Amino acid sequence: MTLYNAPPRRLAAMWVSFSKGPLGNRNFAVGLAMFVVLVTTPLIGVLTSSPALLRVGNSLPALPPSTSHPLGTDVLGRDILAQLFGATLNSLKIGLIAATAGTAVGALVGFVSGYYGGIIDDILRVLTDVFLSIPSLMFLILISALVRTVTVETMALVIAIFAWAWPARQIRAQALSLKEREFVYMAKLSGMGSLELIVRELMPHMLQWMIANFVNAFLSAILTESGLSILGLGPQVEMTLGMMLWWALNSAAMFRGLWWWWGAPVFVLIFSFFSLYLMHAGLDELINPKLRGR
Amino acid sequence: MAIPARYLTERSVIFVMTILVSITVIFLIPRLTPGDPLGVVVQRLSEAGGLQGAEQLVEEYKRLFGLNNDLLTQYFSYIREVLRGNLGYSIVYFPTTVSDLILQALPWTIGLLATTTALSWIIGTLLGALAGWAGESRIQNIFASAALFLYVVPYYILAVMLVFLFAYTLRWLPASGGYTAGLVPEFTLDFAMDIVQHAILPASTIILSSLGWWFLSMRSMITTTKGEDFLLMAEAKGLPKGQILWRYAFRNAILPQITGLAISLSRIVAGALITEVIFAYPGIGSLTTQAITTLDYPLIQGTILLIIIAVATANFAIELIYPLIDPRIRYGGE
Repeated sequence: MTLYNAPPRRLAAMWVSFSKGPLGNRNFAVGLAMFVVLVTTPLIGVLTSSPALLRVGNSLPALPPSTSHPLGTDVLGRDILAQLFGATLNSLKIGLIAATAGTAVGALVGFVSGYYGGIIDDILRVLTDVFLSIPSLMFLILISALVRTVTVETMALVIAIFAWAWPARQIRAQALSLKEREFVYMAKLSGMGSLELIVRELMPHMLQWMIANFVNAFLSAILTESGLSILGLGPQVEMTLGMMLWWALNSAAMFRGLWWWWGAPVFVLIFSFFSLYLMHAGLDELINPKLRGR
Repeated sequence: MAIPARYLTERSVIFVMTILVSITVIFLIPRLTPGDPLGVVVQRLSEAGGLQGAEQLVEEYKRLFGLNNDLLTQYFSYIREVLRGNLGYSIVYFPTTVSDLILQALPWTIGLLATTTALSWIIGTLLGALAGWAGESRIQNIFASAALFLYVVPYYILAVMLVFLFAYTLRWLPASGGYTAGLVPEFTLDFAMDIVQHAILPASTIILSSLGWWFLSMRSMITTTKGEDFLLMAEAKGLPKGQILWRYAFRNAILPQITGLAISLSRIVAGALITEVIFAYPGIGSLTTQAITTLDYPLIQGTILLIIIAVATANFAIELIYPLIDPRIRYGGE
């Protein structure tokens, strides 16, 4: 069921519960507002700025911020603000793809593991724990080092390989507690099949958990991308926030006093981490009322 | 003080599986990617005239790992060699072995990582306990906001900010390296001071980065514990405040901090390795990036395998100690 298929009345009802629930939470509301800024600004920026600004040698190198180049240029004469727009969108894209794939797979594994129990659960749980205790960055380094030409999309999928384990563990715990509830017995008695039961009865109860996990996975995907990029393993052709920082650090931007170059990606990275963190904290408070008012 | 059998079996299975899966994946990834990494690198290097005995290296590899055999035979010989501690030869530094290169870098990483992890865990836990005990106040809120900032901002960004502040702007500390270039490592006070000076910034990065989380989680644990009946009882008995905090509340709240250490270990190690790279600190992290730039696959595989095994072993050790200090696990609950 997507938002677009919902009849208008249902949509209105969803809006009311959304504005009373998540939007009523200060952390979530602030985080979401920051996120909207984070998405719309570079979108508008990419659409309105000239692609020529990204070309090497388009402007004079290492210019400090001015009216024609609000964030200055790098040593190759590329406009920093124009780079920043594209880089932000690419980083967000990596977060979106990795978090979607990771949460979907994690939810499936978690549901199946918690709901069926027995030997399936044992195997899936060990697998989840193994994936959780492996320092995923190490494998990502190995994979990215071997796949020499990384694109934004492959980067996202590679990150997703390790993004499912945490949601899986959380959702399994929830499925375990849900499956003993009476409405599940009712559904079983009325002859509903397992898969239908998982999708129609359990999933709706898990939705907010899945959203919280999604936000968390989004955050760690951006974090992982920038970490890999700083090691020189990011996408070579497209620009991401991590790759911008890598370029700046490797050109000794800091010691040449080009603060606008390394400062720009650092600022946007911190901004996005806080935005996602606040959203996640807000959702957490809604799910666990115990946390409220801390 | 027996560790329950079920718990022990489960943890051991996960430990062995982690190592086995890791070795398997490390073995498979280079073989599944198209092309012949070994051949490409060796060819490129010998064309550039930078490698003596390229033929010899390839032959040695083929012999050791049985590269002419089928995949399954290769797999078993790979496991056999790894278990023997033979990680093969570095391509760039041939005939130096990967193990030798790792042994050179390891003391730097262990020295930095062990000290900083222990320090940040202790400082964060103690400060968090005091903050939670003190309750709401303005100073406490400032501390909590600072801790939140440190928790949300990743290692490498903190590193960049520290370099900018202390190495570039104030020029108090060196920005990179393990010791001043040109100095010969020796056991003198001057050299030791030089090492300490170079270690301050990377160490501060790691300490500050993980401090935030230890602070926040300990603070919230103490806050929760404060409402418990046994603390009320202790207070009613007229015990001194300090004794209630350290002997009663602290001892209960510390348990999740230990599990937290087990869970965060891989994240801390990963963060520390990136920190090393930013500061060009001569440890395993820098060795790995250097291997990545020169396409030294055996070296990449070796360092990664070492890190994974080290983290898994440390995790396993913490999990084995845990039931000894938390009776709730010892008696079968989870």
